[in-house]
Formats: sequence, C-alpha cells, structure tokens
Amino acid sequence: MGDLKLTGVTKDFGTARVIHPTDLQIRDGEFTVFVGPSGCGKSTMLRMIAGLEDITSGTLEIDGKKVNDLPPSKRGIAMVFQSYALYPHLNVFENIAFPLRVDRRPEAEVRQKVGAAAEVLKLTERLQHKPGELSGGQRQRVAIGRAIVREPSVFLFDEPLSNLDAALRGEMRVELSRLHAKLANTMIYVTHDQIEAMTMADRIVVLNAGRVEQVGSPLELFHRPVNRFVAGFIGNPNMNFLPATGLGTTPEGVALQIQNGPRVTIPVEGNVANGAALNLGIRPDDLRPDPDGLPCRVDVVERLGNSTVLYCVAPGGGQICMVTDGSTRATPGEAIGLGFDPKAAHLFIENGRALPRRHVPVDLDRIPTARTA
Amino acid sequence: MINRYRWWELVLIYAGMALFLTFMLAPFVEAFMVSLRPLAEVFRIPYRFFAEGMSFANYRQIWISQPMLGRWIINSFGIAVAVTILSMMCSIPAAYAFARFKFKLRDGLLSLFLAVSMVGAAVLIIPLYKLMLALGLLNTYAAMIIPGAAFTVPTGIFLMRSYFMRIPAELEEAAYVDGASRLYTMRRVILPIAAPGMVVVAITTFITAYAQQFLFALTFNSKNHLNPLPVGLYQFFGHQEVRWNELMAASIVGVLPVLVLYVFLQRYIVAGLTAGAVKE
Repeated sequence: MGDLKLTGVTKDFGTARVIHPTDLQIRDGEFTVFVGPSGCGKSTMLRMIAGLEDITSGTLEIDGKKVNDLPPSKRGIAMVFQSYALYPHLNVFENIAFPLRVDRRPEAEVRQKVGAAAEVLKLTERLQHKPGELSGGQRQRVAIGRAIVREPSVFLFDEPLSNLDAALRGEMRVELSRLHAKLANTMIYVTHDQIEAMTMADRIVVLNAGRVEQVGSPLELFHRPVNRFVAGFIGNPNMNFLPATGLGTTPEGVALQIQNGPRVTIPVEGNVANGAALNLGIRPDDLRPDPDGLPCRVDVVERLGNSTVLYCVAPGGGQICMVTDGSTRATPGEAIGLGFDPKAAHLFIENGRALPRRHVPVDLDRIPTARTA
Repeated sequence: MINRYRWWELVLIYAGMALFLTFMLAPFVEAFMVSLRPLAEVFRIPYRFFAEGMSFANYRQIWISQPMLGRWIINSFGIAVAVTILSMMCSIPAAYAFARFKFKLRDGLLSLFLAVSMVGAAVLIIPLYKLMLALGLLNTYAAMIIPGAAFTVPTGIFLMRSYFMRIPAELEEAAYVDGASRLYTMRRVILPIAAPGMVVVAITTFITAYAQQFLFALTFNSKNHLNPLPVGLYQFFGHQEVRWNELMAASIVGVLPVLVLYVFLQRYIVAGLTAGAVKE
C-alpha cells in the first residue's frame, strides 16, 4: 500500500514561507511527478514527505497514518538522491545492502534481496565494483537498488536524472517507467524537466513559488491548463502568448482583437468585457503559415530534421515560435504570415486564469494512463 | 601536459631547487658528518669536511655513555603517539560538530579555538605548571601528554572540519533515510570516507607533538626515566666538555623513526593536503 495524503501542509524557513498550505492526495501505485522551476518548493515538498525537513503545519498521512513526527525509516519510504549518494568506500553489493545492514538482517536474507534487486537492475555483474568504477547510469541504478531492497510503500526520487547526459537520460526514463510497471509502487518524482514529467507521470503536480498550480494527467495539463503559468511551463517549445483586447462575448465564444493583428473569436466559456486586457495562448505546433494571418518576420531557423522550429518577430516586437515541417524553405529575414485554428487557442484573462476551452482534440477521460493500461 | 620549458629554463629551475635543498639539508648533512668524527676532529681548525678517523664508533658509544638513551627514544615515541590518539579523539567529534551542526556561537567558538592555538605553549607554561602542580601530575607522563594534546586539538579540528565539510550531506541524509543512527553513520560512512584526512591530521599531530614535547618535559618533569629524547640529549653536555659527536649521533638515531614514518606516509600527506583543491 502507498496512499499519501497532505492536508494543509506548509513550510517556513525562518520568516519566509516556502510552501503555502497544500492539499494533495496521491493514490497507491501512482507515478506522481512534482514539476516546477527551480526554487518553487518541489524538493522541499519531497524532503518533507521523506522526513528530512520538518513540516511547519498541516498533516502528512501515509496509508492513513499520520507520520509528521516519524523519522524517515519509519515512514515506509525510500529515497533516491540527485547525486545518487552512494558510499564511495563500499562496493555495489554493500551499497545496496546498506539499509538491510542497518536493520541487522540475517546474511542469507541480505544476499537474497540484494541479488534480486541486482537482477531487476541488471547489476549482477557489477556487485563487486566500487561506485567510482561505474558509469553514471549504473550509479543511478545502484541508488535505485538501495531503495528497492527496503521494499518501501512509496519511492521518492529527487531529480535523479539531472546528472546524466541527454542520451542516457532518455534511456533511464524508459527504464524507470518499466521499473514502475514491474514494481507497481507509489512513486513520487521531482524534476524541473517538463519532458520527464510528461513522459513518465500518471499525474503531474505543477508547483510555482510554493503553491500547487494544477494537478492532473499529462494531457490534461497540456490541453486544459488552468492558468498561464501551467500553459507556459508544460509543452516544448513553450506556448506563445499574444497580447489582445477583448471585444465582448458572442455565442461562438470570446471575440478579441490581437495586438497589431487580426480579429478572431475563440471558442471558450466565460464572459469578457469590451476592452479587457487578454492573453492569447497558442502552442508552436498549432501555428501554420497563413498569408492573411499575423504578419511576422523569420528571425532564427532551427532545423531538427523531422520538424523545423522558426523563431519569428511579431509586429509588436515580441517573439513567436512556430513548429513546422522539416522541409520548409523559410530563411531568416523572410516575411511570414502566421495563422491558427481558433479551436486550438487558449485564452487567459487579466489575472492569468484560463477560460475553459470548448474543444479539446482528445477525450481526456478515455486516454489510459500508464497505471490503468 | 605538454613540455613547455626551454632548456635554460629547466637549468634555472633545477639550480633554484638545488640552492633551496642545500639550505634545507646542509644542517642534516653536517650533523651526520659530525656524528662520524672523533671529538678532536670536531673542533679542528681549519675545518675539513672529510676528517681523519671517521667511523660509526659514536653510534656504538652513545648506548654505553648514556644507558637511558633507548628509554628516552621510547618515551619520545610513546608520548607523541599518546598525544596523537588523545588529540584525535577530541578533534574528530568536535570537527564533525563544527562541520555539520548548526548551533549558537558556532563560528565564535571555532575562532576561539584558533585564537588559543595562536598563543604558544611557552606563554602559558607558568599557569600550566601551577595547574599540573595542583592536579598532582608533575613528574608523570600525563603532564607531558595532556598539554601536548591540548595544543594540537585546534589545528586538528580545523583540518578535520574542512575534510568533513567536503563530504556531501546527501550521504548522511541517505543513511538517515535508511534508518541509520548518527553514530552508525559516523562509523560506517563518515569515518571511512574521511580516513585519508585522518591520516594527514594524525601525521601532522604526531610531528608537532614530537617537536613540542621538549618544553613540557623540561618544565613538568624531573624524573630522568620519564624524559623524552630532546631533554635526555642534554646529558651529553658534560661538566668539562660537550660531546658533540655523540650528541649528533643520538639526535640522528632519535629522529630516524619519524623520518622513516614520514617517507612511508608522505604520499598520504601530499594527497590529503591537496585533495579537493581541483575538481577530480
């Protein structure tokens, strides 16, 4: 079992409040990712769950039991650190066996459990090596092995892939997803990398400045971000935001005037006053060349092969990013008109809140998550 | 690294090193030469580097003229070892606390320790004498060991603290999450990792203790069989003459164990003092 429940949890460092009251429920077996920019409190949140930081107020429950005042080892959690935190003087076997040795388990049990963990993580050949002789990916697996032998109900990962190079990171992402499928434990994973969040999570918790901005499945966050922060944080390249002025509400949606651009009607729910300051959000993939669209100038062209990213200068001077097909002939300095389907656009009112979209291209309730698949 | 020195630059570098080494080693060479000469040749004018009748006879003679010599050497060694052990037993836990725990006046206390180590033992020798007298420790090994340890603790704390600070805190957190107590973590994780640093501190403490025991022994001890070598050597100063050649022979015999130890452990010293200076 590995249910986790946070109720009104806060954290103060001195007089600074780094975590504002947070309610969060994580179900057994769920792969939850905390994501946010650096300093948003995601690591602090994880360390509070681990028991490495005190909880200032509120309660933390694991499997229905309040664990605020329990030491980490009594909470049924295991943690994998960013730096792996391997003991350099012990070989791989002893590193993985460490928690069992602390617990004074019999030698036979230690051998059996370490052997099984090494098997899962493909480390059997490496058991006699010192951490210094291993590659980054292997060290990472040793750190995970040390967590596995404790048989925790909740795994905690603190940016475990950020010390690896890009290729290895991609590989480890897949391995972690596989591991989760195999072990079916609750996993909480902290990262600042939204790609890791999108690829691995059953549910993502987006944090910003010590507050939870939104909780939802990857596609939910992608297609129905509740505010401008989440919209800008999830998705790569980032969403474009165009300043616009409201022209009133019609049955088709909200009519508006894009600054230095055309008038459009966006199919969203809600009322917008005439003259209200708005932000129109369009993902780079949803932009297409359109001679009647927003007149822009191509600034930088990034050719990725299967697609091309165009960074364009908007009439007001802002930057607009567009993803187009790999065979585009666009060159820097060229004039280009950018158009989009109003259904694909997001609309944010003054305080950054999103107006609910009427059309979402996928049925979010019917997309299986990794857990239910 | 590519060879970026020209031939004449190399000549200059080696000439500089030769000059420096001559300066450093000349006293040792002369001490060794004196220890080989007969007493009459020691005072000979004009001076001759290779004197007539040079032999190792003095190295035999010293054991006969001062039968306590062996005892003094053992005393010296024993006192220095005891100082090192006592000092490290105090400085390691203290250094760990200074490196890891946050407590009031931490930085102030650390400065205080350093300030104490700046005041030499010689300045405090009279109060220390009164203290030893009051505690009834005069003419015991303890009188030479305890102050020796006390004066080496600050340096030990300072060196060990910087060593502990380089050990990532995540290692301890990982052990804590795995259920290990502070002491278990210290024993199984921190101390083994800090072992090279501890060797460095042990060696520097030992050398300091070996060098500074003279003052404490001279002041707090008047029992000949408790004397360390440096004090014992004074007995080669006779009423009529100073037997320099035997004195030098005894000094060399006394320094030899430390020298041998140093040669064997020097790779630790260099590695320990420079570890972490550059990214590995």
